[in-house]
Amino acid sequence: MGAAATRHAAVLQGAGFIVSLLLLWELASALGWLRPHSFPPPSRIAQGAWELAVRGFPEGVRVWTHTLVTLRRIFSGFALAMLAAIPLGLLIGRSPTLDALTNPVITFARSVATLSLLPLVIVWFGTGELSKTLLIAYGCFWVMLSNVIAGVKYVDPVLVRAARTMDTPGREIFTHIVLPAALPRIFAGARTALGVGFMVIVGAEMIGTIEGLGALIMEARTFYRTDVTIVGMMLLGVMGVLFALGMEALERRLLPWHRGLSEVRR
Amino acid sequence: MSASAAPKIEVLRVSKQFGDAAAAPVLRDVDLACAENEFVCLLGRSGCGKTTLLNIIAGLVPPTAGEVRVDGEVVTGPGRGKGMVFQQNALFPWLSARGNVEFGARRSGLDKAGAGRVADELLDLVGLRDYGARYPGELSGGMQQRVAIARALALDPQILLMDEPFGALDEITRLDMQAELLRVWSSRRKTVVFVTHSIMEALALGDRIVVMGGGSIAAIHDVGLERPRSRSDPALLRLHDTIWQGLH
Amino acid sequence: MNPRAANALLGAAGILLTLGAWELVARSGIVSQSVFPAPFHALATGLAKVPLADLGGHVWISLQRIALGFAAGALLGVGLAVAGGWYRTFGNLVRPVVELLRPIPPLAWIPMAIVWFGLGEPSKVFVIFLGAFFPVLTNTWKGMANIDPTLLRAGQTMGLSGPELLLKVAIPATLPDIATGLRIGWGLAFGVLVAAELIAAESGLGYLIMNARQLGEVEVIILGILVIGAANLVTDNLLARVLARWLNRSSEGSLP
Repeated sequence: MGAAATRHAAVLQGAGFIVSLLLLWELASALGWLRPHSFPPPSRIAQGAWELAVRGFPEGVRVWTHTLVTLRRIFSGFALAMLAAIPLGLLIGRSPTLDALTNPVITFARSVATLSLLPLVIVWFGTGELSKTLLIAYGCFWVMLSNVIAGVKYVDPVLVRAARTMDTPGREIFTHIVLPAALPRIFAGARTALGVGFMVIVGAEMIGTIEGLGALIMEARTFYRTDVTIVGMMLLGVMGVLFALGMEALERRLLPWHRGLSEVRR
Repeated sequence: MSASAAPKIEVLRVSKQFGDAAAAPVLRDVDLACAENEFVCLLGRSGCGKTTLLNIIAGLVPPTAGEVRVDGEVVTGPGRGKGMVFQQNALFPWLSARGNVEFGARRSGLDKAGAGRVADELLDLVGLRDYGARYPGELSGGMQQRVAIARALALDPQILLMDEPFGALDEITRLDMQAELLRVWSSRRKTVVFVTHSIMEALALGDRIVVMGGGSIAAIHDVGLERPRSRSDPALLRLHDTIWQGLH
Repeated sequence: MNPRAANALLGAAGILLTLGAWELVARSGIVSQSVFPAPFHALATGLAKVPLADLGGHVWISLQRIALGFAAGALLGVGLAVAGGWYRTFGNLVRPVVELLRPIPPLAWIPMAIVWFGLGEPSKVFVIFLGAFFPVLTNTWKGMANIDPTLLRAGQTMGLSGPELLLKVAIPATLPDIATGLRIGWGLAFGVLVAAELIAAESGLGYLIMNARQLGEVEVIILGILVIGAANLVTDNLLARVLARWLNRSSEGSLP
C-alpha cells in the first residue's frame, strides 16, 4: 500500500469517527441521556447558527457584526504592536549594550499575563475600544519585540563574514544581510503574536461589552443559549485556523526562499 | 613558483591566542609566503589552526602578534580583492543563485547590467547556467559550493581563500568539484590558499602543501607534478606516505 | 570585568531606569497619583491594604489551581499523544478530533465550563487543563512522529519490540519535544489561570486585582500585576531547570 493510500485510509477513519460521534451525540440527546442545556445536540447548534446569522444574538446583533468587531479589535492592537516592536527590536538587536540593558525588563514584561492588565486598563481608559486595543497591543508587543531582537541577534555569523569578505560596508551589511536573515524569525514572531492577540481578545470581550465573539459566547450562556455559545466557539476556532493559514500563505509569498530551505532540510 | 619574485601573500611571525593569556595559543610564530598565482594547500587535523590562519589572511580575525601582507601592504580587514569560499551554508538563502553571484559582482563596483552579465558568465563557467533562478535551499551541496565559488570569483579577486570548501560533500562529488576547481582556476589564474584535512585533496590540487600541527608549520612539500594528476602516480603516492608519516 | 557581570550590571541599570522613569512620571503630576501611583508608593500602599499573609494566600490558591490543571493536561496530553503516535489506528481516530478542537482558544471554553462544572474550582481547573493540554499534546505528537527511525531499528536489532521498544526507545527519544510542550503549556496555563480568575472566582490573584478595580484600589492592582509576573517568571524558570536536569540525565539531550 502506498503512502497516499495510507493517508487516504487515515482520513476516512478520522472522518468516520467524527461523524459517528456526532450521530451518537444527537441520538443520546434525543433519547434524553444528555441534557440539552449542557450538551445541545448538533441539530440545535445548527438552528442556533441559523438564528445567529438571520436574527442575531442579542436580537439585531448578527454574527457578522460580532466577527467583524472581534477582527477589528485584534488587528488594531496587532498593528499597533508591530509598528512599535519592529523598529525598536531592530534597534535593540543591533546593539549588545541596549540588549543587555533591556533584557530583564522585557523578560519580566513578557511574564506578566496580558489579561492581568485588564483591571488597570479599565481604570485608566474605561471599558471602551481603546482598552481592548491596548490590551491586545501589549500582548502582541512583547512577543514580537523579543522575536525581532532574537532575529537580528542570532543571524548566522558566517553570512556576515561572507559579506565582509566582499567589502560590504557596515550599513549595507545591516540592510542587505542582517535584515533579510532575520525575516523568518520576525515572521514567526508575528504569527505567535497574532495567536496571543487572539487569546487575549476572547478574555477581554468577556468583560463589559456585548459585541464581539467573546461577548457573544458569555452572553449566550447567561441566557441559557448554550447552542449559541458553541456556535461562537466554533467561529473562534475557524477564525484561528484562517489566521494561521493566512499567515502561512503570506510567508510563502513574501519569503519563498525560506520554504525551499525547510523542504530540502526535511 | 619562483622564489625570486616578490610574494603575493606574506605571513610574518603570526601568533593567535583566543581568550586570556593562560590559554594555549592557536598559532605560534607562523611564517609563510605564497607567490602570485600559486595554489597553496594548508593541511592538518581538526584544531591545528589552519582555519584560523586562513581567517587571519582574510582579515576576518586579527592576529595577536605578527602581520599579514598582501602585495607588501599590511592586511587590516576583509575584502580588498580577497575572495573567500566557506565550508558550507554561506550563500545568502534569500537570494537566488544568480542573485548571490550578482551580489559579489556589484560589490566589485559593477553596475546592475554589468553584474548581471558577469553573473551569467560565471554561472556558465561553473556549469550552472540553468540553475540561476533557484534558491540555495533548492540546490544540492555540490551545486551550492559551485555558486559560492562563482560568487567569490565575481569579486574578480587576486586571491581566493577557501576554507574546506568541499569538506561537507560526499567523496564522489568532492572529486568532481576538485576537477572543476582546477578547470576554473586554469581559466582564471588566482593565488589560492586552500584549507583541507584530506591529504589526497591537497595532493590533487596544490603546488605546495603546508602541513600544520599544534599551531605551527610542521613541513612544507613541493608537489611539482603536472595537472591533471593521476591519483595512482607513484610519485604522488610516495609524497602521500611522507606526509602521512610526518603527521605522526 | 567579564562580559557576564557587565551584562548583569547593565540589566540592573535597565530595571532601575524603568522604575526611575515610572517614578518621575508619577511625581510629575501629569496624571493624578491615585490613578498612576509611583512604584514604591504603589507597593507600600498595596501591601498595607492587602497584608502579606493574604497575598500569600491568593498566590497559594492560584498555584494550586494551575498545578492541578497543568498536571492533568500534561498527563493526558502526553498519554494521548504517545498512544496516538504509537498505535496508528488509535491515532487516526483521535487526531482529527483534536485538530477540530485545538483552534478554539482555551478561554472560549469558560462559558461551557461554567455550564458543565458550575462556578466552583472544577471549572477553573478545566480551563487551565485545556491551556496546558493542547501544546503538550501537539509537541509530544510531533516528537513521536519524528523519532529517528535508526534509533527504532537499533532497538529492534537488540531484541526490543512492542511496549518495550516504546518505553525504552520511543518515549526517551521524544523527551525533548515533551519538555518543549510542557514549557509552552505552562506559559499558556498561566495566562488562562489569570483570565479564569478574573471572570469567575472569589479568590486567587486574578480575583484580587479584579476586586481591587471595583474598590478603586489602583495600588493593589499594580501590586497584583507585579506578583503575577513574578510568579510566572519564577515558576517558569523552575520548570526549565527541572526539565533541563531531567533531560540531561535521561538522554544527554540538549535543551535550547
